[in-house]
Amino acid sequence: MPRPQPNMITFSVDGREVRAPENMMLADAAKLGDVEIPVFCYEPKLGNPVGACRMCLVEVEGIPKLQTGCSTPVKDGMVVYTQTERVKIAQQSVVEFLLINHPLDCPVCDKGGECPLQDITFGWGNGISRFIEPKRHFVKPLELSPLIAIDRERCILCYRCVRFSQEISEDYQLVLLERGAHSYVATFDGHPYVAPFSGNIVELCPVGALTSRPYRFRARPWDIEGAGSVCTLCPAQCNVTLTVRDERALRVLARDHHEVDDGWLCDKGRFGYESFHVEERVTEPLLRDGGQLRPVSWERALGEAAAGLSRAGSRSAALAGGQATNEEALLLARMMREALGSPHVDSRRGGTLPLELHRALGAPALQARTSDLEFAHAVLVIAADPVNDAPILDLRLRKGIRRHGMSLAVAMPGDTSLDAGAAITARFAPGQAGAFAAALAAALRDGDGDGDGDGDGEDELRELVGLAGAEIGVVRELASLLRGPDREDDRDAAREVVILFGERLTSGPDGAAGATALLQIAQRLGLEGIEGAGLLEIPAQSNGRGLREAGFLPNGGAGLSEPPAGEGKDARAIAEALAAGELQALYLLQSEPLQDLPDAQLWERALAGAGTVVAHANFLTDALREHADVVFPAEVYAEKEGTIVHPDGRIQRLRPAIARGSGVGGAGGAPSSASEVRAGWQVICELALRLGLDLDVLGATMASRRLFEAVPFYEGLTLEEVGGRGVRWQERDAAARFPPGASVPEQAPALTAREQQPDPRELAGFRSVWDAPEVLHSPALSFLYPRRELVSG
Amino acid sequence: MTPRGWDTPADLEKDPATIPDPSEVEVPAALREEIEQHMSHYPDRRSATLPALAAAQRLHGWCSPEAIEQVASVMRLTPAYLESVASFYDMLETSPRGRHSIYVCTNISCSLCGADELYAAFAARAGEGVGEEPLNVRSFECLGACDIAPMASVDGVYIGPLTTEDVPRVLEDLRAGRDVLPEKQLARRLVADPHANSREFPEHPVHRLTLPFDPEVPPERAAFGPPMGALEEDAADPPAAIEPQPEHHEEDAS
Amino acid sequence: MAAPAQTPILLLADIDEPGLATREVYERRGGYESLRRALAMTPEQVLAELEASGLRGRGGAGFAMGKKVSFLPKGSIEKYLVCNADESEPGTFKDRELMQKTPHTLIEGIVIASYAAGAARSFIYIRGEYVLQADVLDAALVEARQAGYIGENILGSGHTLSLVVHRGAGAYICGEETGLLDSLEGKRGNPRLKPPFPANQGLYQGPTLINNVETLATAPTIIRMGGAEYAKLGTETSTGTKVVSVSGHVQRPGNYEVELGIPSREIIYGLAGGPREGRAIKCWFPGGSSSPVLTAEDLDIPYDFDSLGKAGSMLGSGAIIVVDDTTPILDVAMKTAKFYRHESCGKCTPCREGTNWTVKMLERIDAGEATPMDLEIMASVQEHIIGNCLCVLGDAMAMPIGSMIAKFREEFEAHIERARMLRGVSDVAGSDFALAAQGALQEHPDGRLAPIGAGEQAPGEHRGEPGTQKGGA
Repeated sequence: MPRPQPNMITFSVDGREVRAPENMMLADAAKLGDVEIPVFCYEPKLGNPVGACRMCLVEVEGIPKLQTGCSTPVKDGMVVYTQTERVKIAQQSVVEFLLINHPLDCPVCDKGGECPLQDITFGWGNGISRFIEPKRHFVKPLELSPLIAIDRERCILCYRCVRFSQEISEDYQLVLLERGAHSYVATFDGHPYVAPFSGNIVELCPVGALTSRPYRFRARPWDIEGAGSVCTLCPAQCNVTLTVRDERALRVLARDHHEVDDGWLCDKGRFGYESFHVEERVTEPLLRDGGQLRPVSWERALGEAAAGLSRAGSRSAALAGGQATNEEALLLARMMREALGSPHVDSRRGGTLPLELHRALGAPALQARTSDLEFAHAVLVIAADPVNDAPILDLRLRKGIRRHGMSLAVAMPGDTSLDAGAAITARFAPGQAGAFAAALAAALRDGDGDGDGDGDGEDELRELVGLAGAEIGVVRELASLLRGPDREDDRDAAREVVILFGERLTSGPDGAAGATALLQIAQRLGLEGIEGAGLLEIPAQSNGRGLREAGFLPNGGAGLSEPPAGEGKDARAIAEALAAGELQALYLLQSEPLQDLPDAQLWERALAGAGTVVAHANFLTDALREHADVVFPAEVYAEKEGTIVHPDGRIQRLRPAIARGSGVGGAGGAPSSASEVRAGWQVICELALRLGLDLDVLGATMASRRLFEAVPFYEGLTLEEVGGRGVRWQERDAAARFPPGASVPEQAPALTAREQQPDPRELAGFRSVWDAPEVLHSPALSFLYPRRELVSG
Repeated sequence: MTPRGWDTPADLEKDPATIPDPSEVEVPAALREEIEQHMSHYPDRRSATLPALAAAQRLHGWCSPEAIEQVASVMRLTPAYLESVASFYDMLETSPRGRHSIYVCTNISCSLCGADELYAAFAARAGEGVGEEPLNVRSFECLGACDIAPMASVDGVYIGPLTTEDVPRVLEDLRAGRDVLPEKQLARRLVADPHANSREFPEHPVHRLTLPFDPEVPPERAAFGPPMGALEEDAADPPAAIEPQPEHHEEDAS
Repeated sequence: MAAPAQTPILLLADIDEPGLATREVYERRGGYESLRRALAMTPEQVLAELEASGLRGRGGAGFAMGKKVSFLPKGSIEKYLVCNADESEPGTFKDRELMQKTPHTLIEGIVIASYAAGAARSFIYIRGEYVLQADVLDAALVEARQAGYIGENILGSGHTLSLVVHRGAGAYICGEETGLLDSLEGKRGNPRLKPPFPANQGLYQGPTLINNVETLATAPTIIRMGGAEYAKLGTETSTGTKVVSVSGHVQRPGNYEVELGIPSREIIYGLAGGPREGRAIKCWFPGGSSSPVLTAEDLDIPYDFDSLGKAGSMLGSGAIIVVDDTTPILDVAMKTAKFYRHESCGKCTPCREGTNWTVKMLERIDAGEATPMDLEIMASVQEHIIGNCLCVLGDAMAMPIGSMIAKFREEFEAHIERARMLRGVSDVAGSDFALAAQGALQEHPDGRLAPIGAGEQAPGEHRGEPGTQKGGA
């Protein structure tokens, strides 16, 4: 469904004339006139209002009964009163009713001080209670899951948490049992509420009934401050507010951004902050000494790293991981290319994709926004499993289906959590995403898709479907779903189709074919230039898009320009060359190839064969412990300053929320004096200087300026413009400077025969975001680590 | 009263209760078939939730976790969803109960006519049970039979007006597997309005139903009482679709 | 018999005729003729007859049935008809009698209404406790389907209708139309926010017509008589006849079909025989336990929608519950409040907490732990419930309780005082009032409180036993 276009109207609230979009709910519209209508159950994120708590009763002229502000759409000329005696009495009585069974244990309640019930009682309550019967008492708090505690005495039965479970995450695990005054929130037969997004209910709870177990009793609201940043633990890049006390992150809350996360967080993003402060974190430079990594001074570590890289010279290579910023990638790529003369840098995991295909896939006119997933007529998810690749998009797709009638199609080798809501689920053989895309492209060329077969087209389609291991009927059905029912009759109707694809599709031997097929599909559906339609990639790494645009590709420089030092080797070729002794040094910028890249055995040999391995890392793994020669402590995202790029092109800003390496291992939360974590850009600049290259960066903002200068389609951008909400570069004038990509061929791309495909198990190198060190090392989340397969469904 | 579960934490050792894997839940074939049939009656399979839970309760005696998991597996819903629904409705039991139930109406009209004493009399003897099982005696809200107040529904059969002296008979009939207090069954009663019937009609015989075969709608068994099989009519009763024989009034057909 | 002889009997006519539940007998009596006649008309003509009849809903709200049908959007979208057979309003048992004895009348009415509304799918949501009645309906449905009254292209008219008898599982709130819809969709029976109204977004989000059993069962009569002719019965705004369930302290409890507008006294005394010899009516609910109580002084009010409304009560489901002077008003209030507490779905705050709080206050009064001030609080709590809830269940408790406090305040106050005496905490020990109360207590060595002035109670047979019952539920 296309987005509704709001029609502005004027209504009156408490005598003020207010302009608001027509049909906006009164509770929201009143805010535009600085009038607050108190609410408990109302939360627009949860969908249609339910009108359960009755807190928002107001008077609307012409309607005899009081109306709930949460569910009354505002109309032109409506006259609303929120301060009359009638309203006051009704609101006071609701507060009184709610407090009947609410224990007044605010002094020991985590919510105290930031509690809507407290605030509303203060603002709209009567101040006295006439209820003298004993309040109910129950055992509390109780575990609801390893992450969440439940205090049933405090619950005011607003239904928010169960609505979340049933209508947002659709896991249907958290429900109300019994009825009337006996109702209570529970799970089935004492099972824990464990689901990828369970933590959101803590933030939704308007009282202290649901609390975060890791946060319980860690701070009071007056002890803490909030710091906005962006979570880089997966490509979804949700906007977050970190709760900080004494330079320590104690909590992560959603910082609602409709164009990014729609106000939700996954449990990894919400609880993964614990890994910032664990003892396992690397907080000082380490140097291999007598076979062991030992702490050394920065001087020594930088010197040794420079020496090793310098020895290898152009026979060095570098890999960047998803948590690296654009600035770090830009600076490191320059160091490799300009100081060492090495073109061997890579940030992709699946091999080189021709630069012109990168450009074609990234063409601004072909890019969908995140919110388009919700408003599109149809979305095809291909070679991606959102809950494991970018969890928050899973919720967005569910929302599109549930609330906007979006039709979803899922094309994956195996089952996904979205299948139940999908109009079409297509399956293809593991590793055959490219062939499947080519088959779909062929089906779309097959004219009307009626399956009558157009000679050669029919043969080609059959061949491709066979290669993909798919079903021809399903492919045709999918083609007609995407094309839309009325395409023939109504060619002007712009059908909004979004194709959400995983980096798997453009990886491996058929990567280029997959990319080409994708472009053909987009062209045959006429997606280019249609507002609300387009392509959206989920990169394999959090900042995958930013790293590419900053030039961290073997075949592309900053801004997807021709590589300044000529084309280099991709990750796999780097590994082979290291193993064969052709390359000698490797720089790992927050990258752990055995974990992040396919073919761990090859990488084991590669690291063993490398003369020098310099790792910029948060955690030591077995491979780093064994093979790294120098380890620089890396910042976590809450410490970083710089920019990253969201999969839909939104440049987002990381702002330091806590001091680098603070509180690590220390129980008291005081900054550890031992912390020697330095900013990533700074380390790279110092290293470059030792290698004879002055990168001319004296601070983080300067690094960003260098980035904006280096990438033509970021031209003129400033950090101020990026601000707290980010900016999609496609929506700026400089987007015109994006380099043109490959033209789309008419014929099907050449595909590798099935026998020649690598073992599909190799593709298992695409890891679920739940299979990550932040999950393993966060005490609260670590229970999920053995279940990471379970989470990945 | 504290509802079950208020004071219980989640067992963190358990896995989350998602939609059960069909291969891991064994569902009795008859139950599966009945649930699937119910699902086929509605545009949305979830509409079959109440009949499906009722069927599971008939089989298991109550909506036990096992019963719920079986329904969840067939209906492809989470057990929590079903438990939530089951716990909302008075006739679905979410704690272990006897299979035989006596609902004593204690709402206003019945209460005005002595229902509270009647309930107390039944409740006092609930512990005796029926056979191996306890007897599920419950005070119920208005059962919609205030004309026979005070009354009770015994395994779905309405009887009244009752006195405390009827209690032993009811229990005896129940234990013997007999029709319960046939002379006081609502099914027999004529309408109270003296103007309604233009002539004298006999009291209705206590009847059971055997539905004519219809492939479209399976004969639905009594929702919550014992299965219809247990209520099969004795030989004396008429074989017609619904009682009674038409010859009584043939002369009035015009 | 004091009942007017001219009362036309439409719904209950020869209802005990043997075999009426079978199609054979029903047809022999002219059953399904109305359906044939309706199908020969256009849906618009059928709707016009329904509208002309002035028939108001018999379930409780009394909304004009024809108007309700006309609210459904026209066009080809899938529409639903739901028959509300979740008859749970305390004191009401009229639908039970109709469904059990003449199920085909209901089925015929449903087909006629669905034709007028353009609905192709219909459901009878029957309360789960009505096992016999649901079985009867299922059997009748099979017959109706075999005869082609239900199914595709009914009697060659082109109209198609499926019908499913859906059994509830015990929840009063499912009689509320949107709670019923949620329940029919397989959910907890929580009422929905209105708007959207079911006529626009009801079952499965589709336009839905919801009518009570008696309402739909009247449709064949209206088609047979013609809407205008039907409208001549009853009063101008309460047309037709109504089956009234009378229960409680009357000599002949049961269902009576009356022409709307007859004096209430004729129903209670003339038809149902009035209270037991020597007893007087203390109060009566004219339309189920949700209607504010009236007293003996109100017996001459005509029994119709508007007259009862003007008297501060309502006709509701047409269920009269009579309470005689042997029953303490507190007991009536307690039963009423406990019922609504038990049946509150828990979704909205004032109903969930207000019903709970009211019961607790009543219990406190009975336990001698209340003061007259608590009566004020209780009255104010009822006011805070009324009009502030998501659906009408909260009001359904608050209005009768409020009416009891208003009309029997002195008895409540006396009860408070006497109960305090019993606990030995009265401030007025030694006063005339307290002494009188003491006297009353002495008459009941078991310590139960009886209403003032109830006097000696004869140990009568149980049907007439004065209700001094407590709690129990």
